[in-house]
Amino acid sequence: MVDFALRQAGRFAFGLLGALAAAAAISVVPEAHGFGPYLEAWGLRLLSFLEFDFGKSALTGMAAAQEIAAHLPATLALVTAGGGVALIAGVLLSLLFATGAPRRVASLLLLLLAALPVFCAGLILAYGAAKWLAWPVSVNARMTEPASIFSADPKALQLTLPAVLTVGLAGAAAVQLALRRATAASAEQRFRTGLKRLGLSQIEIERFYVVPQVAAGLLASAGEIVRALLAAAVVAEWVFHRPGAADLFVKSVALRDWNMAALILFVFAAFSFLADLLGRLSAFALVGEAVP
Amino acid sequence: MSARPSAFGGTLRAIGWIGLGLTAVAVALSDFLARAPAGATGVGPMLEAPSEAHPFGTDLLGRDVLSEALHGLSVTLGDALLATLVAVLLGGLAGAMAARLPNPMSAVLRWLFGVLAAIPALLLAIVIIGLTARDYAALAAGLAAAPFAFVRAFDKVDVKSTHAEYARATGISSTTLLKRDLTYEFRDTLAQTAARALAAVTIILSTLSFLGFGSIPPGRDLGLMIAAAKASYLSAWWTAAFPALALVALILFARLAAGLDEGERA
Repeated sequence: MVDFALRQAGRFAFGLLGALAAAAAISVVPEAHGFGPYLEAWGLRLLSFLEFDFGKSALTGMAAAQEIAAHLPATLALVTAGGGVALIAGVLLSLLFATGAPRRVASLLLLLLAALPVFCAGLILAYGAAKWLAWPVSVNARMTEPASIFSADPKALQLTLPAVLTVGLAGAAAVQLALRRATAASAEQRFRTGLKRLGLSQIEIERFYVVPQVAAGLLASAGEIVRALLAAAVVAEWVFHRPGAADLFVKSVALRDWNMAALILFVFAAFSFLADLLGRLSAFALVGEAVP
Repeated sequence: MSARPSAFGGTLRAIGWIGLGLTAVAVALSDFLARAPAGATGVGPMLEAPSEAHPFGTDLLGRDVLSEALHGLSVTLGDALLATLVAVLLGGLAGAMAARLPNPMSAVLRWLFGVLAAIPALLLAIVIIGLTARDYAALAAGLAAAPFAFVRAFDKVDVKSTHAEYARATGISSTTLLKRDLTYEFRDTLAQTAARALAAVTIILSTLSFLGFGSIPPGRDLGLMIAAAKASYLSAWWTAAFPALALVALILFARLAAGLDEGERA
């Protein structure tokens, strides 16, 4: 376990360093002309990044770190709520469509879900909310006071639910894929035959041996799921006019605020690496071996 | 681990390729099938519901949605094919080659592509366009999808396969082994890899256009059409529904043609 944890920690550290180097390379693009000056500027920026100095936003003049600290909570709330929806929907669907003919139906449904771009899913949910539930939607107007995701106010809930469901739907597709991949892998394990010969019933095998394997497979795919949720958050914040870090990223690139865009990209990559690390360690702890 | 595709999987794959073929025919004949040239305004009344004269209705500027969807599909598919080529060559081919490179080189390449793969592909594509120009959206989508194609291709190569062990034991060089891999394994899975990449880059490209980073008017792709329909679709659903259907059909056919994943297999 210690060996595995150290290897994963090293992988995490190298990954973060790579993401930091990429962010520094992006942020110096408008400042340096020519290969030599660019390399020099990149090295200096990387050093200041390593000292946690991420520069200022070209648009607001505020420190980029302060700016992201102000915008990140909204995105994290959206990703967390969407992640919750994704886990519940993904696991429930997996239980409902686990075997036989329903599994075939589920594979088609999953294909359809995966073929639906996130922005189309968002627009469909907004349409349904506005037309069939008569809820207020924010697809064509920026909210003056963006509703909090975890508010108990019904109107706030109506405004936020389509965005949360949009992110959740994208996450559910990733959760489903991870679960089904893990189930397919465990179906081919040799221990099934051995355990049957030892006299264990199918239910016992599933409960004590297969469920941990599948759960470990899901945990090992945590990075992939987080990436799907973050990408969906970018689109959901844009479609539903929710000001967050993802929305800020799109605006920063459009307005060429490279310090800001680079820092947001680094933060998102860091979340992805962290989810990968925690997921792989938890999976190892659960089944006692590395899960591919 | 690679199971043989079932009859169900084979049927789905055939449906995918037939669908892609029909899409290609529709795109090739788009100028003939469309009732109006691309971007022609005032062809009908504003926001007219689907009718005999305009089967998909008209949009806010009186454009025929059927004609626009056909032209949009043509732009989307053209860009997506270019992006697929980039993703397959830079990601798929590099991944297959990296698996046979000496360890330090292979490790550096894996690290580089691993860092890029940790960034959501959409965000990577947005940055590439921001650093270059919107004209390069297809290239950006291909570059953004390449890290995933790399990881997938790298993982597919079984470095401890019987033939690789035999080659090592008998002194056959890594270059020869790589040539063998490219001649047989990469070639055999090329169509599947390309179809998978086509689905991924189509999603990236249309989302880029939807966010305002993709195609530039008057050459509207399906993503840009849907973005423009955002203002009217709550009262005139057809302005967004038909372009979205065309987009989803293209992605679905490409995914079906690629075959079901380990996790998707029925």
